Amino acid sequence: MESRNTQLAVGLFVIIGVLAVLFLGLRAANTSVGGNGETYKLYAKFDNIGGLKERSPVKVGGVVVGRVSKISLDGDYYEPLVEMTISSEYNEFSDTSSVSILTSGLLGEQYIGLSPGFIDDTVEMLEDGDYIHDTKSALVLEDLIGQFLFSQGND
Amino acid sequence: MTSAKADDLVVIENLDFAHGYGAHQVYKGLNLRVPRGKITAVMGPSGIGKTTLLRLIGGQLKPQAGRIEFAGHNIPELSRSALYEQRKRMSMLFQSGALFTDMSVYDNIAFPLREHSNLPEEIIETIVLMKLEAVGLRGARHLMPSELSGGMARRAALARAIALDPELIMYDEPFAGQDPISMGVIVRLIKSLNNSLGLTSIVVTHDVTEVMTIADYVNIIADKKVVAQGSPAELEASDDPLVNQFLAGEADGPVPFHYAAPSLAEDILGDRNAR
Amino acid sequence: MLDRIAALGKAVLDSIAGAGKALFMLTRALVGKPQLRKSWPLLMQQMYSVGVLSLLIIIVSGLFIGMVLGLQGYTILVDFGAEQSLGPMVALSLLRELGPVVTALLFAGRAGSALTAEIGLMKATEQLSSLEMMAVDPLRRVISPRFWAGFYSMPLLAMIFSAVGIYGGYLVGVQWLGVDDGAFWSVMQANVEWGQDIMNGLIKSLVFAFVVTWIALHKGYHCVPTSVGISRATTSTVVTASLAVLGLDFVLTALMFG
Repeated sequence: MESRNTQLAVGLFVIIGVLAVLFLGLRAANTSVGGNGETYKLYAKFDNIGGLKERSPVKVGGVVVGRVSKISLDGDYYEPLVEMTISSEYNEFSDTSSVSILTSGLLGEQYIGLSPGFIDDTVEMLEDGDYIHDTKSALVLEDLIGQFLFSQGND
Repeated sequence: MTSAKADDLVVIENLDFAHGYGAHQVYKGLNLRVPRGKITAVMGPSGIGKTTLLRLIGGQLKPQAGRIEFAGHNIPELSRSALYEQRKRMSMLFQSGALFTDMSVYDNIAFPLREHSNLPEEIIETIVLMKLEAVGLRGARHLMPSELSGGMARRAALARAIALDPELIMYDEPFAGQDPISMGVIVRLIKSLNNSLGLTSIVVTHDVTEVMTIADYVNIIADKKVVAQGSPAELEASDDPLVNQFLAGEADGPVPFHYAAPSLAEDILGDRNAR
Repeated sequence: MLDRIAALGKAVLDSIAGAGKALFMLTRALVGKPQLRKSWPLLMQQMYSVGVLSLLIIIVSGLFIGMVLGLQGYTILVDFGAEQSLGPMVALSLLRELGPVVTALLFAGRAGSALTAEIGLMKATEQLSSLEMMAVDPLRRVISPRFWAGFYSMPLLAMIFSAVGIYGGYLVGVQWLGVDDGAFWSVMQANVEWGQDIMNGLIKSLVFAFVVTWIALHKGYHCVPTSVGISRATTSTVVTASLAVLGLDFVLTALMFG
């Protein structure tokens, strides 16, 4: 039957299309952290965020655990405030953890490096909405060059 | 005005119609009656809008004024769904046949049955074969429309037009472009279908000799309205110069040979002066 | 001078009337109770002629465009020592832009023109009138299944295009030019987002599918039913649909990534 062959071809077409979506979703994209799954929010204030952008990754030892979800200026002194959305899979960061803005490679994008702090009975764990106080701002190339020249002059 | 006799299937009264927002007036004050069970011919010179008349009856075009009554319903005033309901009772044979080119002859004729009835496929097959038998194309059921000759395509289209047993069938130039044999076949088919199925037929044509042999009533349209009507015999006996011109096929007469234009001398000389 | 202004006015009025007719056609074709038993085979038939028959051209062009992207991207990136970024470059340009847009342009040329010509010819041979006289609405019977077929087919085609294109980039970048296999995929995965990139590309191609199919059907249904009229309508379909896709692509990109 002609109509049966037609249906077969259309069915194959749809299957190929779905396979293409699956290939793109599983092979080409990272589906682990981001839109789906439980998350919680942490905040950190920096002096200078450099080239950090919304959706920049938050990494612990190079492993992506979350993303920057919002950047704003906060308080009377207009300090940059960064909101990070962290996967709930990693919810055991202590109060003493620190964050710093790092650069991947010489020309790469900037990301937030999260270093977990020590854990003992006296420290509390970070929960949704908490602030990380120990922050290190982005390295700005101009400042570095300035410092370098200054220290050269002292010699 | 509503002196419609009970045995008239289609009654048209004071019809005004113009194409393109009044740019080209086609009908003005046209009156026409189509008696039930008879063959009514509508004749007239080419370009007079005879096909337009059929489209008006079918509700595909809306007139500016006037009534078009089909079996008691005023077609232009019907809602869309009511119009579709009425259209199931009429059918139209288009000049080109208008068979669906992506279906076989069989499927073409089964199409209106499958659309409008829930009949099982065996009964549809019986009906289709009966209709094909009536037009003599039972053997051609598996052909595609592109494989048919012009005359066969028109007969297949005729079979499709009668598939739902309509009350009214409208023929748009059924004889145009046919060889004498297929023309004879179609003339005979129209006549015999009308008699055997109790159909009412409207035949729009300009082929005088063919239609005079089968029509019960003849209407001649000219100058935006019906100018003469009556049985073929009455019209042949008529001494109206226009009727005579049309029936005899004279080149010039009340219907002028020339398309409306300034006189030849004026046109040529005026043109030359302009250069 | 007055003639010019009048001509402009007429052009504006005509285009408004055309848009109105197109809108009217689409609403009447799509609104109403669906008859699944009758419309399913029709949809299958159209999915075949609109989607399956476009598959070959989509796969071939997707492969070549992906290969060209791989080659061009490599020669640029290798100067910066950043050839690991070839993966995301190929994937992002395909998913965000080239997949939806090139698919829509090819679709307009391959399937859109065919739809216009087919419907125009059905109009010229009085098949549409004949349907109407048989009390079958040609909008429901002819326009509606073709519209849905185009609407469903194009996003699938766009996804196939992107997938094949990424494979083409992989063939050139990894198999031929020697980019590291693991780096190609992992850097791509680190940079391609399901929601941001794949879904937005999918939304784009849904919008394009709607617009291209609509234009093709409108041009066919409202064409002048002569051979000149059909050929003009077919040309106009390809031109209008392509321009609409490119213009809309800018707007959508600005909304999504701007």
